[in-house]
Amino acid sequence: MTQALELLRDIAAGQDGFVELRYHAKTSRSIGVDKGKVERSQIRHRKGVGVRVFEGGGWGFASTGSLDAASIRRAVDTARAGARSTARAASHSLMSLPECVLARGIFDQEGLEEVGVRSLEEKIGMAASLEAQVRGASTAIRSASCTYNEIFEEKAIVTTDGAAAAFRLVRPELRVQAVAEKDGQLSTGNEAVGATGGWDCLFRGASGEALAARAARLAQDLLTAGHAEGGRSVVILAPSIVGLLVHEAIGHTVEADFVQAGSVASGKIGQRVASELVTLCDSGVSEHYVGAGGTIPVDDEGVLAGRTTIIQNGRLVSYLHNRESAAKYGVTPTGNARAWEYSDQPLIRMRNTYLEPGQQSLDEIIAETADGYLLEGPRNGQADATGEFMFGVQEARRIRNGKLGELVRGMTLSGIAFDVLQTVDAVSRDFRWDLGAGYCGKGQPAKVDAGGPYVRCRALLGGEQ
Amino acid sequence: MNERSLLDMCHLLVEHARKAGADEAEAAAAWQRALETHVENGVPHTVHSREETMFGLRVIVGGRQGFVTANDMEPELLIERAAEAVAQARVTPADPAVGLPDPQPVTPVPGLYDADVAEVGAEETARLAGQMLARIRDLDSRVRVDSGSVSATITISALTSSRGTAVSEASSLMDASAFGMAVDGDDVASFDYDSAVTRRVRGFEDEMNEACGRFVSKCTAGLGAGRGESFRGPIVLSPEAVAEFLLPVLVSALTADAVRKGRSPLGNRVGESVASKLLSIWDDGRVPGGPSSSAFDREGMPTSRRALVSAGTLQGLLFNHYEARAAGGGARTTGNAIGSVTALPSVGPHRLEVDPGTIAMDALIASGERAVWVGRYSGSTNSVTGDFSGVVKNGFLLEAGARRPVREVLIAGNVFELLGRISAISRERRDINGGVLVPAMRAEDVSITAG
Repeated sequence: MTQALELLRDIAAGQDGFVELRYHAKTSRSIGVDKGKVERSQIRHRKGVGVRVFEGGGWGFASTGSLDAASIRRAVDTARAGARSTARAASHSLMSLPECVLARGIFDQEGLEEVGVRSLEEKIGMAASLEAQVRGASTAIRSASCTYNEIFEEKAIVTTDGAAAAFRLVRPELRVQAVAEKDGQLSTGNEAVGATGGWDCLFRGASGEALAARAARLAQDLLTAGHAEGGRSVVILAPSIVGLLVHEAIGHTVEADFVQAGSVASGKIGQRVASELVTLCDSGVSEHYVGAGGTIPVDDEGVLAGRTTIIQNGRLVSYLHNRESAAKYGVTPTGNARAWEYSDQPLIRMRNTYLEPGQQSLDEIIAETADGYLLEGPRNGQADATGEFMFGVQEARRIRNGKLGELVRGMTLSGIAFDVLQTVDAVSRDFRWDLGAGYCGKGQPAKVDAGGPYVRCRALLGGEQ
Repeated sequence: MNERSLLDMCHLLVEHARKAGADEAEAAAAWQRALETHVENGVPHTVHSREETMFGLRVIVGGRQGFVTANDMEPELLIERAAEAVAQARVTPADPAVGLPDPQPVTPVPGLYDADVAEVGAEETARLAGQMLARIRDLDSRVRVDSGSVSATITISALTSSRGTAVSEASSLMDASAFGMAVDGDDVASFDYDSAVTRRVRGFEDEMNEACGRFVSKCTAGLGAGRGESFRGPIVLSPEAVAEFLLPVLVSALTADAVRKGRSPLGNRVGESVASKLLSIWDDGRVPGGPSSSAFDREGMPTSRRALVSAGTLQGLLFNHYEARAAGGGARTTGNAIGSVTALPSVGPHRLEVDPGTIAMDALIASGERAVWVGRYSGSTNSVTGDFSGVVKNGFLLEAGARRPVREVLIAGNVFELLGRISAISRERRDINGGVLVPAMRAEDVSITAG
């Protein structure tokens, strides 16, 4: 690592203007077991250097998979030529990047050795045994699968204006799926966990066996569950759904590039956009407890990736920035510039996005809910520039007179995110990171996490009419 | 890089794998050079240049399979990766279905490579990006382009195996895309996007200009959207909604791996009716000049044109070599191994084509009965069960020949049931990114809920 840092420093030292050099090496392993077979055991190595040049208001980016100095210098020249082409193609308002505090040093994260020393046999054995556990859970289980992934990353970031940082981290993930069948009707149960750190982080909330048992039980229970009724309803959202809501439906609308394009959050700094109970943040650090899946110590522009409060007690107080957008808005960069591979240029991306916990217990919130649903486990989610969102819900339980009732299937949750946050009237003190196995897509993937407490609000539910 | 040198690299990897102890080995490699002008917030923002060779090495040792992919080019690292793949195979449980196919003759698909694309430089992609933005601005100044790009890409692919397969192909691609939304005062419409993809430089600007027109029309369609109505009735799926919502669930159920894993309700229904008689679907990997075309699949097997569904009757499933062996009973690969060289081959279609119907698109929209037009679908679709529930994007309430934009309208049901309720198909079709050729479709009896 220090060798890569030194090489990039040497190359940066001889450059004119703003040049950013990023060494990025990734080794990923993926094991997939499906219906009793190890279908996939594969390893991927990808390494290289991505170079950005900012000149005359235009950016140029070039990458090379060769790590010798001559190849990297050639990439700098190509990126510089690209920057000049972009500069000529349009007039640009920002001609240089303001100075800011940039990271210097080594920032290795926990878990590297703990995951690294575990043998491939152990990892294959774990995935095979969990898949077998799900398949054997009941005669109703028609098929099962288990996927274990891990990504080891090494990065070094050097800029001509002072960044010189390097770090290594590891992100393991586990997914278990059960498919149950009765009279030709299929249902699925899914459990997934992901972390930045070792297996102690990955399995902190539940062991692999507990996750497998839960997936199998859910698939069976959903076979006999009735369909939900559509319409507007009181809902208690579990941390996984709160996480998806704050990531997809709020977080994207406050990414400064979307804001500049006219997202619904544009021009709303200082305005009340949510209930007073809502404080929403995005952090490169794993707040509240370690291991969140989107943790990064330093972003890909060399900015320390600390915590950014987006909504403070209901008021919008910040967008998420890279160095360029921060300069345009006259604020400090928030450390949100991230690139998926060495050959990708950094974009404004979230890291760990969450709602701050409140004071009540989940039991208290359920007890004071006369009529509604408790929603756990998002199936997937999409949101719009308007903040309009739609998530599938894996597990929805009816609440009547303060008591949890029957399970219903096929439910979706939708609404305008900021409107939904205005209706928040209860926030639990429990807190969970719950989307660590998730990836965010925005032209390139990003490993993110999201979570929060249990939250009661009103939203539109979709189901069979 | 050229086809010969990439084939040599693949041969070398196979040789290293055999020396390391592999019974069989297959190496696939792709060299790619791309130049792209990336657009951000309505201006050309970054010129992005990349060039890389990636390879994927699949080895089999005693019926056990290992796979390594990397972008290493150093000779000593190629030896190391081959040894790593073999070591990995040795600790993976044996599977009698793993194996490599015997070589088959492969015929080139014409029109996949245009040397002019290799001559497109940074200035040209920047100029085209500027032209795309100006065109969108001229068409409607309320449309904001959040991001987009214009790119020129050259790809060389090669694959060799210890069984004697040795195939290679060069291809080119011009691509333009825009992603954004219309903003009119406080009225912000939904995100939308469009793109143009061609194999050639000639004609690309015309395709790009047409994509700009579609993009503007889709972005502005959602302005002024109001509340919808709740009812049970017909929906009309736009070609985009057919491509992104309906077809993926159906086609996923037609892959042999979904059937083998018990994740398809259609597996044992070959020869039976699975959809409306109006519906016929093809998979075609050999469209001349097609952006999704290739002479061979991810295992080096020849591609073809095959009927998947004819007049509602299921004609067959999609197989790669592994799935054919796993299925037994004389099943053979259909040349549908897909995926990049960086992963083990999976199974899927190359380019889906739905036969046109007999009704004009305008007549489908103005049929009189109350219905919802689904421009895009954004929601949850369970590919195993077919259950779906999601929000209609760029939606319209159609009634008595008039149309009114609506938002927060949810539709729910089951895709496999919906296929049987297709009541009309438009005669116009849209080619979406060269990956699908689809008409619009009307389907009856869907649960529609207004927010």
